[in-house]
Amino acid sequence: MNDETEVDLPGRGSVQKSGDSRVLGIVPGKPVAGERKEPEEQNLVMVWPNLLVRQAVAAMSIILLVLFIAIFADAPLRSVADPTNTPNPEKAPWYFAALQELLAHFHPLISGVLIPTSIIIGLVSLPYIDRSTFLQPRHRKVAVTAWTAFMVIWIVLTIIGFAFRGPNWGWVWPWQEWHGEL
Amino acid sequence: MTSTQNEDRPAQESWLRRTRVGRSIFRTPSKATPRDRAAGHWSNFFLHIYPVKVPRKQITFRYSYYLGVISTVLLGSLVASGIYLMFFYVPSPASAYTDIQTLQTEVTFGQYIRNVHRWSAHLMVLAVAAHMARMFYRGAYKSPREFNWVLGVGLLLLTLLLSFTGYLLPWDQLAYWAVTVGTEMAAYVPMVGGDVQRMLLGGATVSAATLLRFYVLHVAVLPTIIVSVLMIHIWRWRKDAMLDTERDEPDE
Repeated sequence: MNDETEVDLPGRGSVQKSGDSRVLGIVPGKPVAGERKEPEEQNLVMVWPNLLVRQAVAAMSIILLVLFIAIFADAPLRSVADPTNTPNPEKAPWYFAALQELLAHFHPLISGVLIPTSIIIGLVSLPYIDRSTFLQPRHRKVAVTAWTAFMVIWIVLTIIGFAFRGPNWGWVWPWQEWHGEL
Repeated sequence: MTSTQNEDRPAQESWLRRTRVGRSIFRTPSKATPRDRAAGHWSNFFLHIYPVKVPRKQITFRYSYYLGVISTVLLGSLVASGIYLMFFYVPSPASAYTDIQTLQTEVTFGQYIRNVHRWSAHLMVLAVAAHMARMFYRGAYKSPREFNWVLGVGLLLLTLLLSFTGYLLPWDQLAYWAVTVGTEMAAYVPMVGGDVQRMLLGGATVSAATLLRFYVLHVAVLPTIIVSVLMIHIWRWRKDAMLDTERDEPDE
């Protein structure tokens, strides 16, 4: 007995009809299991040589830069340490210049303790505060603006503390008097 | 890039296999298929900190400024030049300054290696800070990479501490007073400030004890900690390197 017959469905071609089952109907729409999502093909490259060659270029560039600077600029060495002779101005290393500049404006408890502590706590807890999953800056306007503002303020304070401060932490123009120390 | 276009084809065959005679001897093509190359990568000790493949976009100089690599290389330069300097330096107020003078005038390449150490240190502070700024804009602290950002903050602080402890060692006026200013800030911490300052200095003011403490921190304690944290930082990067860094739809 041959049960295989073709059933014509309007607009949908034909389906096989076998003896064990019958097509009762075809429902348009999504499959019951939900939308099938094809995994997007990632465009991958081998780490060797693609990434490693580029890392080598970066590494050699920075090494060359350091070796080159070291030829022309000598590390500073002032006179021997003298606890009885306080230089004026007394300067912290440049990466603490922003903090030292703040010290001139606020009570030391604020600029020396409160501000650095809150910066460190803020940086550490940033990923747990900003929980949005957006990655691109144009979708994270608040976070990006706050970060940029913080960096601009910090860089300006660093430059002022490093180059624009002279005796008694007074204002100087760096092209007239130079007090920055590396 | 020609090298990236040939990505999935066998590597260039040796000259012998390309000749007519060579083909008659070997008959089969070179075995360097992508699978063989991946296996070679996988079994290489020095490449164990790298995944076999990374997304093409992540390796462009436009996407990455390679500031992490640059920071790591500068750390390497600092270790190498620092070890050289240790041979000629004794951390005591009686000899520290004259050791630096001797280093600069009599030791072979002494001045040059000291310059390399100094400028590498300044550049490393810049590079680590710039690395952090870049990672913020790229959103690299977002889940699931939150903790690697925290490790990065730790590495920045360790870099600053290393730089600051090294600043005292030449024992000149610049070093002495910069460290005096820096440690005076610790004294302002409520309740424990005075104790913290005394613990850092080993006394009331910058003295022989301070120099020895900063030296030990600078050449032993802090380098060990920064290298350890850096290893975890890089390991986590390697585990997360295959993450899609371009998604910008919110996951509901």
